[in-house]
Amino acid sequence: MEPGDAGLGTKGAPRFFCTAGRGLEPFLMREVRERLAATQVEYMSGKVFFITCSNLSMIKNLKSAERVFLLIKKQFPLTASSPSKGKILHEMRRLISDDPGSWLNAISLWKSLLENDAQKEKLSQSISNPLKRKVDENEIVISKKLKVEVQKNEEIQQAFPQVKQVEESALEQGDSNAGRENLQEKELEDEVEEAADAPSPAFTFRVSCRCSGTVAKVFTAQIFIHLNDVYSVLGIPLFSLENRIAMRQRMECEVMQGTLLGKICAIFPVKTRVPLASRTYIQMAGLRSTIAWAMASLAEIKAGALVLDPMCGLGTILLEAAKEWPNVYYVGTDVSDSQLLGAQGNVKAANLQDRIELLKVSVVDLPLPSECVDSIISDIPFGKKFKLGKDITSILQEMERVLRVGGTIVLLLSEDHRRCLQDCGESSVPQIPPGNHPADPEGKENTIPSETESSLGEASKQECLDKMPPFGSLVSVECYKVSLGKTDAFICKYKKSQAARCYLPEPHCVQSSLLAS
Amino acid sequence: MKLLTHNLLTSHVRGVGPRGFPLRLQATEVRINPVEFNPDFVARMIPKVEWAALREAANTLQLGEVPTEPVEGYERDEAFLRKMHHVLLEVDVLEGTLQCPESGRLFPISRGIPNMLLNDDETES
Repeated sequence: MEPGDAGLGTKGAPRFFCTAGRGLEPFLMREVRERLAATQVEYMSGKVFFITCSNLSMIKNLKSAERVFLLIKKQFPLTASSPSKGKILHEMRRLISDDPGSWLNAISLWKSLLENDAQKEKLSQSISNPLKRKVDENEIVISKKLKVEVQKNEEIQQAFPQVKQVEESALEQGDSNAGRENLQEKELEDEVEEAADAPSPAFTFRVSCRCSGTVAKVFTAQIFIHLNDVYSVLGIPLFSLENRIAMRQRMECEVMQGTLLGKICAIFPVKTRVPLASRTYIQMAGLRSTIAWAMASLAEIKAGALVLDPMCGLGTILLEAAKEWPNVYYVGTDVSDSQLLGAQGNVKAANLQDRIELLKVSVVDLPLPSECVDSIISDIPFGKKFKLGKDITSILQEMERVLRVGGTIVLLLSEDHRRCLQDCGESSVPQIPPGNHPADPEGKENTIPSETESSLGEASKQECLDKMPPFGSLVSVECYKVSLGKTDAFICKYKKSQAARCYLPEPHCVQSSLLAS
Repeated sequence: MKLLTHNLLTSHVRGVGPRGFPLRLQATEVRINPVEFNPDFVARMIPKVEWAALREAANTLQLGEVPTEPVEGYERDEAFLRKMHHVLLEVDVLEGTLQCPESGRLFPISRGIPNMLLNDDETES
């Protein structure tokens, strides 16, 4: 993490970084290593930095990232101890003018990456108009024109056919104040004239500056940067002036400052205007696709497996899994007609109907023989209609039944569900002294795990054999806390061990033995 | 609903147990979908197949002869794998019913999706 690093890593391999939802960073770090053979993978204040030689289309395949950026510069934060606007602007100016080389390098790198990408792919990704930052995340990504022009400097003179008005002005206007406007207006006026006169190679950037931490208290508006051979200028643009400035080349940059521990300032251009998390192959989004993919990545899906999502909803998890692991048979079930219809639409739109089957079935009553499924991945619905206690345990009971020994269950659980499952003793850690049973919320018979019989006392063992432990053979493997935006949730992974089973291990298990008492 | 799926399904009406398999298939609308042949995938599915049930279903749909057992060395037998690929993955039952062989309970298939929800009195729990 050397300060002042240019956008190129060793041997000219570009440096990138990605943002990820809170809790998904370990998945992203693993993914960049595996998918992109990335090196120098670092995690810092919500961003994963890395170096890779992979091309854009590979990078766009990242499934646990929100957005991806080409790193121009990463360095120590602007000193904002005395938060005066003038000082900060001065600092930012220096940030750019001290080292225009790294900016220009990064820009040409960016262009070449986009060129290669445009040549390779059909023009279906939106690398176009980067102005529209605020995009509804569920929007289908359609770009009517690909705006990546392979522009040599001379061609920059051609105006862009459609310079869209910047919508975020509405968002930002509230922040600007009259005094600042006047000052900056003057500055910009001068620039406009100069730009008009200077015919030759000039990159003009509209930079939206996002500040956090102390700097944010000073201003949050956008920064205008103009670089060419003659000067490099920083300014805060006014949207009324935007129209008059013929922007030859637009690129959005975000300047962020790490707050607490980060202490690093990174500057980078946005590569795609829509987050990677918004998938082109998912028509109707349910669960956030980054989380769905992360869950699937834990499920140890192998070729030829049978994977079940017994509460599939719109099928997001199955879609993510099927895209990544195609030689697998996926079955999704749900009780809701509307959800199944949505899932069916999604499956067709993603062209995965060969691999994903849908059934209208209840998760607590699966019409499947015992031990026939290799992996189960599911998002357990949160919310009031799912009572704690009985429902979650019968769900897990049924899942355990159909799962083959050695199989994997990955669930997305709310805090409440997770706590309830722990209380009901599904964990493999049997550090419960005999006689001390955590109470089940509904006052039902409590149970303790049975697979580590050696460490249980005789009395407990007997108790276990009399009462059927609901998840006797499920071993908790790992658990990740992730952010779902407003709430947090847990991705929990379980494996079915070779435990003593209290029901007949025949392929078509008789349910009644489970309900003996 | 593909025949590979049908091959997995068992009736879970109370008291029926293992006699709920296989479900008797009756189809009013069937579609043949071309699916890209992936021999590796098909070879991996073969060990999971319940052959008697598959033969019965294939006969109902008049798909021609399905072998009683996978031939020795089936992994390399392309003709066999292609035949199984067709039967398991390319035949889609869009409308029809599945019947529990023990209780007679009918489960409808609509738009390719079987509805196997049970009423409260029918379920085990």
